[in-house]
Amino acid sequence: MAKATSSLPLQMLALAGLAGIAALLSNLSAPASRRLAWQGSLPVPALAAGPSQAALQPPPAPEAPAPKPDEGIRPLPPLAPLPPLPPKAPLPVAPSQAPPAPAVLAPAPAPIQEISAAEAWKAFQAGTPFLDARRSADFAEGHIAKAWSAPVWESDLEDRLFSFKAARRPGPEDPIVIYCSGGDCKDSHLLAAKLLEQGYFRLLIFREGFPAWVAQGRPVEKGQP
Amino acid sequence: MRNLLLHPRTALLCRILLGLAFIAAALPKISDPPGFAKAIWAYELFPPWSLSPLALLLPWLELVCGLALCLGFWPRAAALWVAGLLVAFMVALSINLARRHPVDCGCFGATAHHTEAERLEDMRWALARDAGLLLLALQCLWAGRGRPLESGPAHGQQI
Repeated sequence: MAKATSSLPLQMLALAGLAGIAALLSNLSAPASRRLAWQGSLPVPALAAGPSQAALQPPPAPEAPAPKPDEGIRPLPPLAPLPPLPPKAPLPVAPSQAPPAPAVLAPAPAPIQEISAAEAWKAFQAGTPFLDARRSADFAEGHIAKAWSAPVWESDLEDRLFSFKAARRPGPEDPIVIYCSGGDCKDSHLLAAKLLEQGYFRLLIFREGFPAWVAQGRPVEKGQP
Repeated sequence: MRNLLLHPRTALLCRILLGLAFIAAALPKISDPPGFAKAIWAYELFPPWSLSPLALLLPWLELVCGLALCLGFWPRAAALWVAGLLVAFMVALSINLARRHPVDCGCFGATAHHTEAERLEDMRWALARDAGLLLLALQCLWAGRGRPLESGPAHGQQI
């Protein structure tokens, strides 16, 4: 009996080992949409302390003009294709050497902004690319017309983002609308934080998301990405 | 009462029920690890690096222990794991209930969208359910005391 009792931890270890081997094999054989990288690919570090509150600001007035290059707000070079900035790139704020002209100098827009359904519709009509941060299965069931699937929790997110960038070649200043399923869905915020790290500074989160889009009868599509 | 609680049929029933509950909880999570990783993340208790390993390992540990309980294979070791997991789940739920941070339990896979009040209510039910399952696990451990670890008939006869 003493021998049997002492083997209890070994049995527990064996059960855990069996589970580990099964998890390893299962993950290896899973399709990309149901696979997880054992380390690292999840987009959560930036969100660990909440959904990008530092970078988020309420939606601007719809008629707020886009910043003009000659206002000295963001002296970036003319758009080079896909110039991802280093991960530690500073947030876009007005440079300190900017001339003190408060009447002219508008505050730099936050790189991540929330927009309403009406603003999302305007962006759609203007041809702004839309990224769908929900799971690929949800995307297949229905998504905003011409949206790109970028499911933040799936292992092939980087590949999908690469395809999007290669096809649309958005510059760091070009607007990108991101949405998920509205409500308290945070997937679009996670995706925005990830894109911000990759050097995109005009990320518009359509906060009411796909349900509001459908409710307003806007164009939707179905099918695989 | 004590005899009834420790009756072999009571023990068998508890073991099978507990095993089935864990198998039922494991299967949806095994079929969708990213969804479970998201559920764990929502608890805001775990460092980012631990999300993937937890989301991959936990469901399989639940399945292995559930099967072991149902089949009577190393039932005490499985019941100990299950009891430990249940305590961990209850702690995680309690912390989030205490700070009124509504989360989808994630216990039996992804759930539909709820309001915050509904989520908090679901969390209380999940806590009660985990407490009930913990009682079953404790019964398995209690009834298995002094018995051989491999409680199958062949081993039982050997000792």
